[in-house]
This record gives sequence, structure tokens and C-alpha cells, in this order.
Amino acid sequence: MIPATFVLILSAALFFFYLHVICQKILRRQFDREYFESIVNANRLEFPSLRKSLEELGAPVDYPRLRMMLKCDFLALTYLLKNAANVNQRYSNEEQLLILYCRWQFLSLAVRRLLKVGEKKAILRVTSVLQYFANVVGQRVNTVRFGNLTAADYLLNL
Amino acid sequence: MESNLVSYVLQDSGILIEAALVLYVAWTSQWKGQGAVAFYLSSLLVAQLTRACVLHEYGLTSLRYYYAYWSTDFLLVISAFVAMCLFFRRACLREEKMWRLIRLSLVLLFVLVAAISGVSLSLNRHDFFTYFIVGFNQNLYFTCLVLNTLLYLLLQHIDSTDDQLGLLVCGVGIQFAGPAATLALVHLTTGGRYAKLLAYLSMPLCTLGMLLVWAYVIVYVPKTASGLARRDVPLLAVPARELEL
Repeated sequence: MIPATFVLILSAALFFFYLHVICQKILRRQFDREYFESIVNANRLEFPSLRKSLEELGAPVDYPRLRMMLKCDFLALTYLLKNAANVNQRYSNEEQLLILYCRWQFLSLAVRRLLKVGEKKAILRVTSVLQYFANVVGQRVNTVRFGNLTAADYLLNL
Repeated sequence: MESNLVSYVLQDSGILIEAALVLYVAWTSQWKGQGAVAFYLSSLLVAQLTRACVLHEYGLTSLRYYYAYWSTDFLLVISAFVAMCLFFRRACLREEKMWRLIRLSLVLLFVLVAAISGVSLSLNRHDFFTYFIVGFNQNLYFTCLVLNTLLYLLLQHIDSTDDQLGLLVCGVGIQFAGPAATLALVHLTTGGRYAKLLAYLSMPLCTLGMLLVWAYVIVYVPKTASGLARRDVPLLAVPARELEL
């Protein structure tokens, strides 16, 4: 009984740990430039300012508003991932994994909020996923050109 | 019935991905750089094809399938152990002293696992498969899970720049940890229906997860210098003129 419980707890913890590490390693992928900025500006996404205020100012968190902002950004970016300059109109495997990871982090954020521990960490993880999504969308959009302008420049000039 | 169908679909998808990855590794001449991956993938492919053939020929409840299943499982755990050794070698490419110690530890660990499994065989000599192969497979399987965790910690300790290896290790971790957790759950619930169903699905699902992670690594993640730690100072490029001198 005791060895089986030990194996169950250890293996389950390791399973989720490895999933977390895989997601973090995918998120660490380097892009040749900051594609996310044009997407953030064009779609008025709020996660960069939120992250900046958390990292630099450590501003007090208005939780319901913050959750709503992150959810809106998440929905907008997942829509763009699927539909903006995406010929296949579907998510890739890594995007699906990161979407699941992001949902998991939202759940984790709610639990951390209840327990009042480490909310900031969960928020920063969600924003890093959102930044990755914005980078992917920006990179894709950047390959599509409208005359002399890339789609990202075109969106910025709107 | 439905769970069987889902399990077969997952297994067949796994076989297709394994075959595609083996072909991709061969096509791009990565046999040398990805030796451990190619070796384990080939073993998985051989094992799963053998199982599928025997299952098709003799049925799930036949004695031949039972022997084929456990024999191929034996092949798989041995391959997993060898792959872990190759991963350790790759991690310690520049740490010869550490590798000598690790190599000795790995050999001793293998002998220890075989000895522990041999004790249960000596107590029950009439059934070699049940008491040695099954016991040995379970022990070595859990040993590989622990070794994989130690390898991950080692990579963190030496601050390795080998991004491919980091992800490969995480993929193996999923392959080992998921089934181990569900099998422990089956044991704790004394074969509860839902726990059994979960275990039945988790094995092909975790294998599929590992294959997808490995596919991502092989296709998308660029190869960096193996065994090179982040703290190591990169070698400066020597100008061509100096070389000529």
C-alpha cells in the first residue's frame, strides 16, 4: 500500500512537472525579432502592460479585472492563431499543448487566488504564453505582404 | 469495447509516427547525432509491430500473445535503459571524469535490478515469465523513471546548452511517469474499473505524447553543442589570415 502510494504521488508529480518543463522550453523559443509588438498594438492587447506593471511596479492586483483582461487577450490570440495568415485554419500540436497549458494556468491562478499564494507567478506564466502566441501570429502575418507593406506594418498604419 | 477501439487507434497512430520518425532520421542522416532516439524508436517500432501481428493472428487471450507481449516488453525496457545510458553519455560528453563514475553506477544499478528480480525467480522457479520477466520489467521501468529524473537534474546542474537533450528527456519522462502513476492507481484501487480503463488508455497516450515531443525536437529544435555548459566560454573564431600564418 505505502510503496504504491509513493509511486503514484511521485509519478504523477513527475508527469506534470515534465509537461510544465516542455511548455516552458517551447516558450523559450527565440524569434528573430519582437513580432508581438505589432500584434499587441493592432489588437489593443493588454498583457504587456499588465506584465510590466507586475514586474516593475509590483502594482496591487485587481483580480476580477485582471482575469478578464487575460481571458480577452487569450481569446483574441487563439482566434488569430487559427485564422490569421494560417492556411490550414487549425492549431499546430505545440499550439494545442500551449493552449491547454494556458487553461491550466488560469485554473492554477484561481486556486492560488483562493489560497493567496504565488498569484504573480501564475499571471507571469499566462502572459509569457500570450506573448509567444502574439509572436507566432506576428511572424505569420509578417510573411503576408500587401503591396510594399507587410501585414504587420499595414495593421500598424491603420 | 470503445476503450479498446480508442486504445488501438492510439497504438496505430503511434506506430505510424514511429515509422515516420525513423524514416525522417534516416533521410536526414541524423543516425549519429540522434543515436539514442533512433535506437529506441526502432525498438518501439519492432515491438509494436510484433505485438500487432501476433494479436491479429492469435487473439488477445491467447498464450502466444501473452508471451509475445512480455518478450517485447522486455526488449523495450532494455532499450529504454540503453537509451538512458546514451543520454547520460551525451550529457557528459565533456565531463569524462563524471561519465566514468556514472557508467559504473549504471552497470551496478542494472546488476542490482537483475539480482532483485532473480530473487523472486528463485522463490518461484516454475513460472519464469510471471516472476522474472514481469518483475524485472517493472523494476527496470521504474529505475528508468528515476534515472531520467536524475539526468534532468544533472542537465540543470551542469547548465547544459543542449536544448534537444532537455526536451528528449522530458519526453521520456512523460512516457515513464504517466503509466507508472496509473498502474500504481490500479494497484491502490485493487483493479477498479475506471482505474483500469485509465491505465489501458494512458500507456498508448503517453507513448504518443513522447513521440510528438521527440518529433518536435528532431524536426524543429536546432542541434547545439552536446555537453557544452552555459557557463563554458564560447570559442572565439580565428581570423582566416592568422590561420594562414
